[in-house]
Amino acid sequence: MRDSFSRALLAGIAGFMLFVLAVPAVQGQADLAGAAKREGSVVVYGSIESDVFDVIRKIFEGQYGIRVDYFRASSNGTMDRVLTESRAGKPLYDVVLTNRSPMLILKKAGVFGSYVSPSYERYPAATRDGEGVLSPSYRQVVVSVLYNTRLVKAEEAPKSLADLLDPKWKGKIVMPDPNVHTTTAVWLANLQSVMGAQYRPFVEGLAGQVTLAESFLPVVQKVIVGEFPLGITYVKYVYIFGSEGAPLDYVRLSPLLAEAHHVAISAKAPHPNAARLFVDVFTSRLGLLALAKAGEFVLVPGVYPPIKDADKLRIVLMDDLSEQDLKQFRDQIGTLFLKR
Amino acid sequence: MARVAAAGRPAFWSVRTDPAVVATAGVGLILAFLALYPTAMLFYGSVSNAPLGVPGHLTLAHYRTAYGDPNTYRMIGNSFVFASGAAAISLVVAGLLAWITVRTDAPGRALFELVAVVPNVLPPLLTATAWVLLLSPRIGLINVVAQRVGLPPFNVYSMAGMIFVEGLILAPLAYLIISAALSSMDPSLEEAARVAGSPPLQAARRVTSPMIRPALLAAGLLNFVRALESFDTPSIIAIPARIEVFTTKVAREALAAYPPNHNLAATYAMSLLGIAMVLVYVYRRLTASRERFVTISGRGYRPRAIALGSWGYAVSSGAVALLALIVLLPFCVLLLTSLLPFYSVPTWETVRQLTLKHYAFLLTSDRVARALRISVMLAVSGATLGMLLASAVAYLTVRTRVAGRGALELLTFIPWAFPGTALAIGLLWGYVRLPVPIYATAWILLIAYVTRFLPYGLRAMTSTMVQVHSDLEEASRVCGAGLVHTFRRILFPLLRPGFLAGWAILATIFMREFSTSLFLYTPRSEPVGPLLYHLWIDGLHGRMAALGVTVSLVSVVLVAVARRAGRTRVGE
Repeated sequence: MRDSFSRALLAGIAGFMLFVLAVPAVQGQADLAGAAKREGSVVVYGSIESDVFDVIRKIFEGQYGIRVDYFRASSNGTMDRVLTESRAGKPLYDVVLTNRSPMLILKKAGVFGSYVSPSYERYPAATRDGEGVLSPSYRQVVVSVLYNTRLVKAEEAPKSLADLLDPKWKGKIVMPDPNVHTTTAVWLANLQSVMGAQYRPFVEGLAGQVTLAESFLPVVQKVIVGEFPLGITYVKYVYIFGSEGAPLDYVRLSPLLAEAHHVAISAKAPHPNAARLFVDVFTSRLGLLALAKAGEFVLVPGVYPPIKDADKLRIVLMDDLSEQDLKQFRDQIGTLFLKR
Repeated sequence: MARVAAAGRPAFWSVRTDPAVVATAGVGLILAFLALYPTAMLFYGSVSNAPLGVPGHLTLAHYRTAYGDPNTYRMIGNSFVFASGAAAISLVVAGLLAWITVRTDAPGRALFELVAVVPNVLPPLLTATAWVLLLSPRIGLINVVAQRVGLPPFNVYSMAGMIFVEGLILAPLAYLIISAALSSMDPSLEEAARVAGSPPLQAARRVTSPMIRPALLAAGLLNFVRALESFDTPSIIAIPARIEVFTTKVAREALAAYPPNHNLAATYAMSLLGIAMVLVYVYRRLTASRERFVTISGRGYRPRAIALGSWGYAVSSGAVALLALIVLLPFCVLLLTSLLPFYSVPTWETVRQLTLKHYAFLLTSDRVARALRISVMLAVSGATLGMLLASAVAYLTVRTRVAGRGALELLTFIPWAFPGTALAIGLLWGYVRLPVPIYATAWILLIAYVTRFLPYGLRAMTSTMVQVHSDLEEASRVCGAGLVHTFRRILFPLLRPGFLAGWAILATIFMREFSTSLFLYTPRSEPVGPLLYHLWIDGLHGRMAALGVTVSLVSVVLVAVARRAGRTRVGE
């Protein structure tokens, strides 16, 4: 009886606190929306695919009537553009969203302002940025081996990374060149902690087995058209292109390595209120559910993309590489992939 | 002073009033700003230890990094093999095709002429991707057919494959330059050769070919440097083939560095500038005595077609085969890609999958409509501005003896020596500092396009202008016509094929340019080139192909209009 009274009291206090906190939050949100509408538009630079981004754009534009201009580039291209404009003193972007490693470089360069969206409260504390600059990792891009189901039966597909070294796959695997594609370099470097002593023989063997392409998308395209039966690329393409009819499936590696994505707002945003409002929507549960529906692995417990077995995967976030780490990696491991 | 007084007017007065000198100075100022400003920014970047906008001090560290590496020279060697091979293939293909379409009465030549410019419209990235689908060892359509008839497959992922594909990509540009020169050529020399007993092919080899040497040299030179700085074909073919060329090394070490190192990219770009300047010097030496190439004089200029007689259809078949290589095969792959959810080697199943959904996307997308509007505006206005400037430069360098006229030509070639990305970095560094709000508008794209591609327009104008003898102008002046009247009534009609060929080259390139645009556009000023590129990097190849096909058709209309306006009809 006493317990139930205590629980009721606690619930009452919590409810009151939520009300007290929520009133200014709702009020604040209304003020923010009003200010954002007066700014009229928001400019986003990022590496998320245009079609996936359009899902969020439609929600935001539909809800607030504020136009979203999106500049899409590779993660390196996004970082390059942001750095260049910032150094030139002409930053045209309000919001930046891309992979963790370039976001950390941009944060270090001081191009971002701090903003802690009310949406961040839902995220695990461990994923939040102590300095309040980067958003929590709202999504992860998961890397695996994808295969063309017209050319490879599920039972014949490799079951592990070590299977890729089987002579029958020689010349039949395509992957991005780690010397030009940074996420692939980060992925290969992180395999060291997964494979231990087997790492060096594995990468040496892999370098002799594969054909290289520029980045993850040319890889998946080559797998879809049947030029190569296997490709190392993002798992989400199984849904993004598979739902359009592409014959794709993926190898359920354990663990699967993934790179975190973050969003942040410019320190000199031309539309600062619209930028904040956009980040609020983008990282909200509504935003994340929409992203998951479009094929993304998002940080909401129990929410998965419509990819078979997505709920059973063991996903491990990769450690990012510093500028020095990357250079060292390319000197020691990248060169293996340059040999003919 | 006494001598000046004796001469009746001061010396500086005569300098100021000489229209050629004033024009040279004015055009020189414009060119110097367009060319030297971004070049100076790039040079400064190459000797600064800090990126744009960050205070730094002078250093040679980037030069030590770039040129202290023995691999750099090996890569330049690989690039020379690649560029020479590609330029040679482009000249052979374009030369043959231009001769057939312009100088003979081969059936269907008017259609061939129009079709030949289509690939110029396609971004090299699309053409290279199409050739991979034709010549990939496993799924390439040509290889699939070849293997069925017992022939070994050709591996596109090789140096030979790279040269072949780049050569075909470059052929249309060479075609436009060579065909412009051929259509302005006095055929009486060919006739003389035939009267003297030479068969048509021998006349073509021994008479026509030497006469159009400036155009051949110009096309070869332009294409050589373009191949040297090309990244599209290498990124599609060299990376899988694990062949490193100069541009893939620059991409790896400077642009894919973490964070990207523009200073090092600028340093690498300086060596391309050096190579291009040497080539321009060689070109000028080889075409120094202009009179040797004059073929249109006051003596009865009447282009006339070579009658092929019973050989007509055989020659037309040859033209069709050449066009199949440079246009029809890659375009068919592109068309098929645009009509399928996902491209795959065609089977009977493919017919069931045909769809128009990618075209439906084009019709409903505001982004596509805006990009097409911006690109057509840039193509028409940029090509017109570019050709007006090119005409002024060509006239001053070919027709006058004004001191410093050689510098004008040199100035136009400087920006062209840089890869598109490097020039964009220079332009960005330069224009972002200007108090005029040009950055982040379509204006900076217009300036970038004219700056980078002026040499194409200039080549088309110059190689036509050197063929027109000055006695026609002199005759006009002697008859009392002024400079403007002579230009309008005498020079312009004769130069019109060159002007419009140049206009067509520029307009088609501007319709789809992306390597320079990528650095300079903003989401609100996105032209077709970056949009095509983004559809490609988003893996939306069906939409990309549909847009490629649409842009090709728009460009063909632009070219057809230009050709109709500029035609000096064979036989008239």
